[in-house]
Amino acid sequence: MNNQMKPSNLSKPSDCLCHIEPGELSPLPAPYEDFNQVTIPPLNPEKVKHLETSLDDTIAIGIPKPANKEEEEALVLRFLSGLKKLFEKENNWTFLQPLMLSMEHCAKCQTCSNACPVYEMSGRKDIYRPMFRAEVLRRIYKKYLKPGGKITAKLTGDIDLNWTTIARLAELSYRCTLCRRCATVCPIGVDNGLITHEIRKLFSQEMGIAPKELHDKGTVQHLRVGSSTGMNPLAAKDSVEFIQEEMEEITGYKVEIPWDVEGADILLIHNAGEMLAWPENVGAFATIFQAAGLSWTLSSEAVGYDAVNYGLWYDDVQFSRVAVRHADIARRLKVKKIVMGECGHAHKALTVIADRLLTGDLNLPRESAMVTLEEIVRSGKLQFDPLRNDFPVTLHDPCNMVRSMGIVEPQRRILRKIAPGFREMTPHGVENYCCGGGSGFAIMSGYNFAQWRNLVGSRKKFLQILNAFEGEPREAPKYVCAPCSNCKGAIRDIINYYHAEERSRLYYGGLVELIVNAMVDMKKPMIRFGDEPSWRS
Amino acid sequence: MGFYLLSYLCIFVFILATAYRIYRQITLPIHVRWELYPVQHETAARAAYGGSYLEEVNWWEKTHKRSLFNELRYMLPEILFIRGLWKENRSLWRISFPFHFGLYLMIATSGLLVVHALVILGSDYPAAPGGTIKSLLDGLIVVTGWTGLVLGNIGSLGLLSKRWTEPELRNYSSFSDYFNILFIFLFFVSALAAAVFTDPLLVGAKAYAFGLLTGGLPLNGYAPGQSIAGGVAIVSASLLAAYIPLTHMSHMFMKYFLYHKVKWDDAQNRRGGRIEAAIMENLELKPTWRANHVDADGRKSWRDIASSAPKEK
Ligand code: SF4
Ligand code: SF4
Repeated sequence: MNNQMKPSNLSKPSDCLCHIEPGELSPLPAPYEDFNQVTIPPLNPEKVKHLETSLDDTIAIGIPKPANKEEEEALVLRFLSGLKKLFEKENNWTFLQPLMLSMEHCAKCQTCSNACPVYEMSGRKDIYRPMFRAEVLRRIYKKYLKPGGKITAKLTGDIDLNWTTIARLAELSYRCTLCRRCATVCPIGVDNGLITHEIRKLFSQEMGIAPKELHDKGTVQHLRVGSSTGMNPLAAKDSVEFIQEEMEEITGYKVEIPWDVEGADILLIHNAGEMLAWPENVGAFATIFQAAGLSWTLSSEAVGYDAVNYGLWYDDVQFSRVAVRHADIARRLKVKKIVMGECGHAHKALTVIADRLLTGDLNLPRESAMVTLEEIVRSGKLQFDPLRNDFPVTLHDPCNMVRSMGIVEPQRRILRKIAPGFREMTPHGVENYCCGGGSGFAIMSGYNFAQWRNLVGSRKKFLQILNAFEGEPREAPKYVCAPCSNCKGAIRDIINYYHAEERSRLYYGGLVELIVNAMVDMKKPMIRFGDEPSWRS
Repeated sequence: MGFYLLSYLCIFVFILATAYRIYRQITLPIHVRWELYPVQHETAARAAYGGSYLEEVNWWEKTHKRSLFNELRYMLPEILFIRGLWKENRSLWRISFPFHFGLYLMIATSGLLVVHALVILGSDYPAAPGGTIKSLLDGLIVVTGWTGLVLGNIGSLGLLSKRWTEPELRNYSSFSDYFNILFIFLFFVSALAAAVFTDPLLVGAKAYAFGLLTGGLPLNGYAPGQSIAGGVAIVSASLLAAYIPLTHMSHMFMKYFLYHKVKWDDAQNRRGGRIEAAIMENLELKPTWRANHVDADGRKSWRDIASSAPKEK
């Protein structure tokens, strides 16, 4: 019923433009067939009665319905003024050239569609095609902002602009994880992920419309309190103190986690979510750095202990503010380099994107922890017993770290050395599939969005993980190594959602945990599979 | 003379439109990095799996090794054979390749026609020159011309029918998408008809190119438009040259910017360098975004805004 959708349909009245029926999603293999008839549960009508819900089965932003026609018209005008600004250098120097090139050269060949996990897994629903939302924006731009556009639209592709179009387009920009897999296959080099990113920016920077998890509770809270988790500096220090104690308990190895050491070689910045959800990751980093004798520190200054930069996903202004704070903290600490912990988007934000933002002494060297860790592992400073990691391991490639930064091999070289059961997913490296948690989805779970993510967005990753462990006995514990906090969050959620721990004995964690687990100096295992230790002391 | 005038006008539009497109690109402000791996100017070992210089410890202390050879090794088959499409969308490649290769061969034939005209001019015109070079050119023009026309016809007809019959293409196509292919098909089919029915050795094409270079001097008594098909081919080829750079079909050369200025632009911002200077200029630009948290008033620069906190909610 939803197939055969055209871009112009986005402005046509309908309560739900695209609904996924039971059985339409890509099938899962045994023992998960019972999920094949499961579909996204309906939104609670009471909770959403004042919100725009007419795109599909879920909502990510929750845009309030305008009170009257005048308000609607004002919003349409505001959208157009934002769209215009996307093409002005004063307002969008950051992405003007990439945006113009991608807007002007799509050949509508649909090669990108087959590369998109959301489109493929959804049962190939048209609205999730990578170029669908790009084409909508292109048509609006040409028709409403180009001279003579209303006439040429009849020839180049028409669309009506009304509040419905806009509200749906805003929501639709949050059905793409910005993984940019589509961009790698486009024969021309058009980047539909980028266009989605620009649509999100328009809504945020001009209209103040963004998911609350990214904006209010994300960048705003990050800059105000110190972390998007809500942890202020005191709470962060408390958590780390607790981690220190725990680590000794877990591994029998005592770690001291240094704070605010001026002149240290390395400022390590974690995604602060690690401190709350995966404290062992923070502890494992400390263990490795300490055992390798590195000169390093954490920062207890607000913003400095949380590497995330959600602005990367929706707002250049918020992005810039967070990046400048990160760099400034490192500058004042007089460290030699910043090392990014296991967080993919934070890697890309501060290392690559902020590279054309930071000038003078704010432009400090930034390095991926994958690289620092590989150097340690190769240096011979630590002794390993790879047999301690003698269980099946597969590696998830965070899109931001791999496809957007080209950091592909260091983590693999580490795994080949310390994890004899390591095997690749298919495909992997720069051709990987997103975990489904990209671009903020891992932390967005309002209304029924988490179910949409687990059923549609993360489905391809789940299939890939199952495939990587094919042939392994069900009762053998299996480890999905995901060196990124957001990816871990998404993978944790799919494991829980599909009961994959019970059914396939799937476990997940970071890379540093595997490294520490194989360190000869550890008296006890770092990794446990439920109650079962990964090795016996 | 009307044909020649039209061709001159169209070539002028082509040059102007292409120059404008390129000018617009090179005068845009430097943008943030948005590269996508594999980046093909990396060393062969790295490009093979999509790695970058960021994989090296203390990468900023090292010289970034780049490989032009590797870049060319990737680009040539990409440009000539559309390798990306072959890998990702084989069924489309089967028609897109003949279409594009047909166009390339037409461009190559045009180049050969110009060389041919120059050879004649360099000899004792109006006496027809002989010799090896001339014979070689005559042969080459027939081979590239005919192959290009056949491939181009197959490709454009194939593209047209695929776009019309497959819903995933049809639902996203507008009038102009069909018009563009039809336009190109009109050239291919008329040129092929002229070759088949009146001019298998492409004598008319050679004479027309000669006329173009000489302001209309006749070669072997040729006058353009002797056959309807030949006339249509000249008019449609001229109009196409003017039309292509005005449309998304300019991707034929704009791909350079999509790849080199975005996808593979991994140039580092070094302190005191050219990139830093360009960024500093950008940071002085004054945005006017209207959302509250941005706090832009048209007077504050990006630098001011980036170093301030958002207006609290
Ligand atoms: S973005 Fe690229 S792959 Fe997708 S339809 Fe456009 S030209 Fe084709
Ligand atoms: S960026 Fe990723 S999720 Fe978004 S359209 Fe492209 S492939 Fe799909």
